[in-house]
Amino acid sequence: MPKRTFSLALLAAAGGLAAMLTLAVAAAPALAQGRAAPPPTMAIDDQPGYQPSAEEEELAPAWQRQLVFFRTTESPGTIIVHTAERFLYVVLGNNRALRYGIGVGREGFQWQGLKTIVRKAEWPDWTPPAEMIARQPYLPRFMAGGPGNPMGARALYIGGTVYRIHGTNQPQTIGHAVSSGCFRLVNHDIIDLYDRIPVGTRVVVRQAPEL
Amino acid sequence: MQVVRLVRASLALAALSMAAVSVAAVSVAAVSVAAVSVASSALAAEPKTSPTLKAVRERGVLVCGVNQGLPGFSTRAEDGSWSGFDVDFCRAVAAAIFDDPAKVRYVPLDAEKRFTALAGGEVDILSRNSTWTLGREIAHGIVFPAVTYYDGQGFMVRTAQPARSPLEFGGMKVCVQDNTTTASNAAAFFAANGVDAKLITSPDLKDAVKAYEDGRCDAFTSDVSQLHALRSAFAAPAEHAVLPDVISKEPLGPAVRQGDEGWALIAQWVHFAMVDAEEIGVDSQRIDQALASKRPAVRRLVGTDGHLGEGIGLSPDWAVRIVRRVGNYGEVFERNVGAGTKLGIPRGLNALWNAGGIQYAPPVE
Repeated sequence: MPKRTFSLALLAAAGGLAAMLTLAVAAAPALAQGRAAPPPTMAIDDQPGYQPSAEEEELAPAWQRQLVFFRTTESPGTIIVHTAERFLYVVLGNNRALRYGIGVGREGFQWQGLKTIVRKAEWPDWTPPAEMIARQPYLPRFMAGGPGNPMGARALYIGGTVYRIHGTNQPQTIGHAVSSGCFRLVNHDIIDLYDRIPVGTRVVVRQAPEL
Repeated sequence: MQVVRLVRASLALAALSMAAVSVAAVSVAAVSVAAVSVASSALAAEPKTSPTLKAVRERGVLVCGVNQGLPGFSTRAEDGSWSGFDVDFCRAVAAAIFDDPAKVRYVPLDAEKRFTALAGGEVDILSRNSTWTLGREIAHGIVFPAVTYYDGQGFMVRTAQPARSPLEFGGMKVCVQDNTTTASNAAAFFAANGVDAKLITSPDLKDAVKAYEDGRCDAFTSDVSQLHALRSAFAAPAEHAVLPDVISKEPLGPAVRQGDEGWALIAQWVHFAMVDAEEIGVDSQRIDQALASKRPAVRRLVGTDGHLGEGIGLSPDWAVRIVRRVGNYGEVFERNVGAGTKLGIPRGLNALWNAGGIQYAPPVE
C-alpha cells in the first residue's frame, strides 16, 4: 500500500510548495475563527439606488456558486436552505448539489419547514414594509425594479409566506446575517438560480438548533 | 515502565478485535455507572478504568503523536506552538482531562515510525492523518476509536472544460502519480464505469502536478484534502475545481493502543461529544447559554443533567471543557481546513449526517 505513506503527507515532501502552504495556512485560523458559529448580525441599512461594481460582486471563494458533495433524501430540483451555514443548495441527485452563498435577513430566521415556490419575477419592485420605514424614514415608499433596487435582479416567492429568495445590490452581505430581508443572493447567482427553478419547486428551510 | 509495557502487551493479546473492545466497553460502563451511584467523587478522583489516563494525570501532560508538518492538519509555528485539525484533537483530549488544552507534549512522527511509536508507548495517542484499516489494527496492536475526517480520492479539473463528473471524462487525460493506490483506484473506476479516459502517470507527485499544470492533462486525481491543498498553491486557484465525487475510502482518525478500553472510550467520546455539540447547537461562543439550557440533549451533554463523564473517568463537565477550550466539530473543521482558510475545503463527507455528510455520533445519554 505505497499510497498510505503519501496520502496527505506528500505535501510535506513538495518542498517550496509546502513552505508556501504552511505560511498561508498559519495565518488562516485567525481569519476563520468562529465561522461555524452564527456571526453577529451585520448592521447595514438598505442602500436603494446603489449599484455595485463587478469587482464587488465577485464573492470570496467559499461563497461562490459551486458543485459540492451533498447527501439527501430530497429529490433532485429541491431547494434546501441552511440558514446557519449561509448556504442555499439545489439538489442535483447522485450525492451532489449546487451550492450558493447567501445572506440571511431577520425574516429568514423566523421559520423552518417545507414550502413551495409559487411565483417568479424579474427585477421585482420594492415596497419597504412599515417597520422598515419607521426605522429608516428616508427610504422611498416604493421603488420600481431595476439595477440599484435592494430586491436585486430576480425574486422567487415562497408560497404561504411573505418570504422571498431574491437578489441584492449589497454583495458584501453574502455570508452574513443582515438586518432586513429574507434569503439574498448576489445578482448573477439569483439569475442563475431563477433559470433553474420552476414554479412549484419544493423549498426546505433548516435553522440552527436552539439551545 | 517495563512492567506497564508487559501488562499492556498481555491486554493487547486479550483484545484483538473491535468486537472485544465493544463488549469490554459495555461492561466497563455498567460497572462505572454502578460505582458512580455509590461513590462518584472517588471514581472521578481515581478512575480505575484506564491505566493510560492514570499515567497521563500523574504526568500532568498528554503525549500526542502528530505529523511533522501538514498544512491545515498539523503545523508548528516559529514560536514552537502547534495548530491544525489533528492537533486540535490532542488539545480536545487534554481539555477533557485537565480543562487545559495546552497540557500536551507533541511528538512529531514520520509515516514510518508513527504506529511503532504508539505501540511502544512513546505517545499516549496518535493523531496524525492516519487511515483506519483492519491490517493496521492487527499488525500494531492498536485501535482506531473514531473517524475524525473522511477523506477519499477525488478529481480536480479546469473550470473552463465542461466535464463536471469523472463519468464524463471520456476522451480526457488524467494525471496521477505512478505506483500508488490512487492510480489503480482511478483505473478501476474508469474501467467499471466504461469511461474511456487515459491515465498519464509520473513517478513522483511533483511531476504529476506539473504535468496537469502545464496542460498535459485535463484532470488530476488524488485524495480530496490534497487536491484542495495543491489547488490553493496554484497561481489561479479559481480556474480549477475539485469535483464533489469521491471514489475511495480514506477514513482518518486518532489511534490508541489495544488493551486499554477506558482510554479508547475517552478518545472516541471526545470526538463524539464534539460532533454532538455541533448537531445540537453547542459551540464555544454559546457555551454559557448551553449551560443554562433546558433542552434534555443539551443538559446531558454539558453535564447539568447526569454525570456521564465520570463513567469514563472524566468530570461531569468534560464536554463543556472541550467545546469551551477547543470548539465543536464544525468550529475545528472551519478554523483549520474550512471554507474560510487557505485550504478552503467544503465540509462534503464531513458535514453532519443531517446536513449532507456522514459525520454521525451516538448520543451522549
